Amino acid sequence: MTISNVSRRAFLKGASIATGGLVIAVALPTNALAEKGIVEATSVKLNAFIHLEENGDTTIYCGRCEMGQGISTALPSAVADEMDADWQRVTVKQGDADERFGPQATGGSASIRVMYQPMREAGATAKAMLIAAAAKVWKTSPDNCFAQSHFVINKTNQQQLGYGELASIAANMPIPKKPTLKNKSDFTYIGKNLPRHDQGEVVVGKRIYGVDTKLPGLKYAAMVHCPVLGGSLKSLDKSDAIKMKGVSDIVEIPRFDVPFGSIGGIAVVADNSWTAQQAVKKLKIEWDLGENVIYNTKEYKQQLVANVKKPATLAAERGDIDNAFKTAKHKMSATYTGGHLSHAPMEPNASVVWVQKESCEVWASTQSPEDIQKVLGQYLKREPTDIVVHVAMAGGAFGRKFKCDYVHEAAVISEKTGLPIQLIWTREEDMRTGYYHSINAQHIEASMDENGHVTGWLHRAAFPSINSLFNPSLERATKQNLEAVTDHLFGVANFRAESGDAKAHTRIGWYRAVYAIFYGFAFGTFADELANKAGKDSFSFVNQLFDNNKNEEQQGQVRRAKEVLAVVANQSEWHKRSSLPEGQAIGLAVHYSFQSYVAMAVHVEVKGNDIKVLNVDCAIDCGQILNLDGATAQMEGAVVMGMSLALSTEITFRDGAVVNSNFHDYPVMRITDMPNVSVHITDSDESPTGLGEPGVAPFAPALSNAVFAASGKRYRDLPFKPLTV
Amino acid sequence: MKQSIIINGKTHEIDVDGDMPLLWFLRDRLEFTGTKFGCGSGLCGACTVHVNGQAMRSCITPVSSLVDKKITTIEGLSEHGDHPLQVAWLNNNVPQCGYCQAGQIMNAASLLAVNAAPTDDEIDTAMQGNICRCGTYQRIKKAISEAADTLSKEV
Repeated sequence: MTISNVSRRAFLKGASIATGGLVIAVALPTNALAEKGIVEATSVKLNAFIHLEENGDTTIYCGRCEMGQGISTALPSAVADEMDADWQRVTVKQGDADERFGPQATGGSASIRVMYQPMREAGATAKAMLIAAAAKVWKTSPDNCFAQSHFVINKTNQQQLGYGELASIAANMPIPKKPTLKNKSDFTYIGKNLPRHDQGEVVVGKRIYGVDTKLPGLKYAAMVHCPVLGGSLKSLDKSDAIKMKGVSDIVEIPRFDVPFGSIGGIAVVADNSWTAQQAVKKLKIEWDLGENVIYNTKEYKQQLVANVKKPATLAAERGDIDNAFKTAKHKMSATYTGGHLSHAPMEPNASVVWVQKESCEVWASTQSPEDIQKVLGQYLKREPTDIVVHVAMAGGAFGRKFKCDYVHEAAVISEKTGLPIQLIWTREEDMRTGYYHSINAQHIEASMDENGHVTGWLHRAAFPSINSLFNPSLERATKQNLEAVTDHLFGVANFRAESGDAKAHTRIGWYRAVYAIFYGFAFGTFADELANKAGKDSFSFVNQLFDNNKNEEQQGQVRRAKEVLAVVANQSEWHKRSSLPEGQAIGLAVHYSFQSYVAMAVHVEVKGNDIKVLNVDCAIDCGQILNLDGATAQMEGAVVMGMSLALSTEITFRDGAVVNSNFHDYPVMRITDMPNVSVHITDSDESPTGLGEPGVAPFAPALSNAVFAASGKRYRDLPFKPLTV
Repeated sequence: MKQSIIINGKTHEIDVDGDMPLLWFLRDRLEFTGTKFGCGSGLCGACTVHVNGQAMRSCITPVSSLVDKKITTIEGLSEHGDHPLQVAWLNNNVPQCGYCQAGQIMNAASLLAVNAAPTDDEIDTAMQGNICRCGTYQRIKKAISEAADTLSKEV
């Protein structure tokens, strides 16, 4: 006997009755992208599955995609906690694409924010039904029973019944409309240090990633893409490639002008990946590169800078900024820039697809199984739900695997050859065929009164928007893209935000922390520059900026932002900074993004042009924590990613094509650069908010501020030390 | 005369093009997928295995150069997954996505085999060829030091 939570829809169809299932209806939120207005809303009401076997073994499914952020431990642990399940008896499984799991598209640091409550309710519902079952057996009232670690216990006589014994009876118990949730003090797993469920497999090489999928008769594909977005194949000579031993097919993949579709390329199918990769090198290809061949990032960035130094399209305004500047005691301006970034997860894009006449099955590292269903359904002219998507563990993703072009390509190859295909992109293709973090420029002008209070703030930002994926003719970032500027927690009475022209010439995508990377950099760095201009210390000055916020609705946010800043100031001993050795200094920054508050204190040593990061104190308030150690790990990782983009990583385009190719010319942080990172997590009762991304934003500004304090040199361009490629 | 290679104690005939890097022989021919493809150019360390006990990047090492050599992959590092490094990795919850970790552990095992008590600087130097994009370096360092402590107690 298996107890399953199945959807109300399935229940109505009678499917759950047929299997004797325990039905738990949990209202789940709609697609996160729909919330943002980026894609059309599709309203779905769904459930998580809990499978409880007669022997008590429990399987809890994770509907959100795992890519290293620990979600497949965090969410099931919330189910287990409310269910009073014994974690030792729980097996976590990754759910396939299935609308009954709710929105599975995993991004925007939204998983815990949107799924915490439904997962707790799922667990609490199961527990209530198990208790009701035990009460029935004992002919007592449910109030006379309680659950503890996979058992229901009779309060009167201390009798116990195991969850497994109760499974089939519980299946026929009524479903509580509103199950009672635990008080925080009763949590067993939530907020504790629960080890990841899959660590044991990782350390012995048994964890299966998308790239590890094997099927009988599997063939291996490698490919080369058109180097310029919007280009197409002019001529192909495949004679040398097809002659190679082990090569079976060469497939032309046309450009598909749909979001997340292939940009077009040539694939080789062979007996193994190595042969396929070698054969790709023997293809003689001429491309018609199309109009984006004009794209050169060096010139483009200069153009963005020019565009933010002149009046641009109004995004938001309050007060009278012209008067503020007219009556200013001090005025100050600065311009900040940043380059494109490639996600470069350690596992390059990879998927297995088998298209057959009656079926299409996918195994992929992905952040968005529903987009795979949508794109492949569109391509194959089948219903999205007919595309079976097995969500594999992703070897890192950082936003890249939200976009399923690599799965689409495997589907094209499989459809054209009739074979099960594993397509693995080489690192070079991965780096050159990305959805890049926006290249960007921001220009800020501020006015201050005689007391050093900021009276006016003009903020111009220019960057190609992610919205250009869906609307390629978009000329500049939208008002919505600038909301984080408009709603910034610094209190400035007279304010204007403008969007500078920036048409996209490549695919722009979500990259861990997204726009918070450059907004955090500009706000955090400029605040420090203003403090210096006003002759104040940065900590007091930023606090003053927060205190000047008179917006009633933002007072709670302001308080939380100030608190995390105070934590890192204390932990880093900011007040003792003047006694640091020559060449050392601490820089501070705080940023609100993904509904969370993060501050960093970066302690550096600067010798000539060498910047050595010694210590980082990092504080986050993201509401209730699910997994303390997991949260700590996310912040440690965010520091490392922040450090890579602050110091060294940048994607360069020349004549429309990416110049970088591998880790030698895209130098991500290595162990030798690693500072001591101390993470300080606010113990909060607020609802949980974003965690994976917000930690990235404050690092670069804190570093810029630290380096300035140590050396007098101000870095306003990300990365500080670009490699010439 | 058929050539062979010894992987995790078992002899395997080399029945592929000799130019094929060991990585792909392991992954596609033998289906030992614990060893990962990261860069294909010896730049990231995800594919690290041991050849006669020494760390080597399998993505740039042709099988023809490994005839009769003893290869150890992550699957063969210990019989029960209890090499001190594997234990230390678990104690410290090192992996995030975990994709690079087989390479990290194999590289660290090679270090500890020749230097049982590495300093922090020696760990850095030995491990700088292994990239972790999730940023687990702090825990990697700590886990290696812990494993070294365990090993020193065993002796």
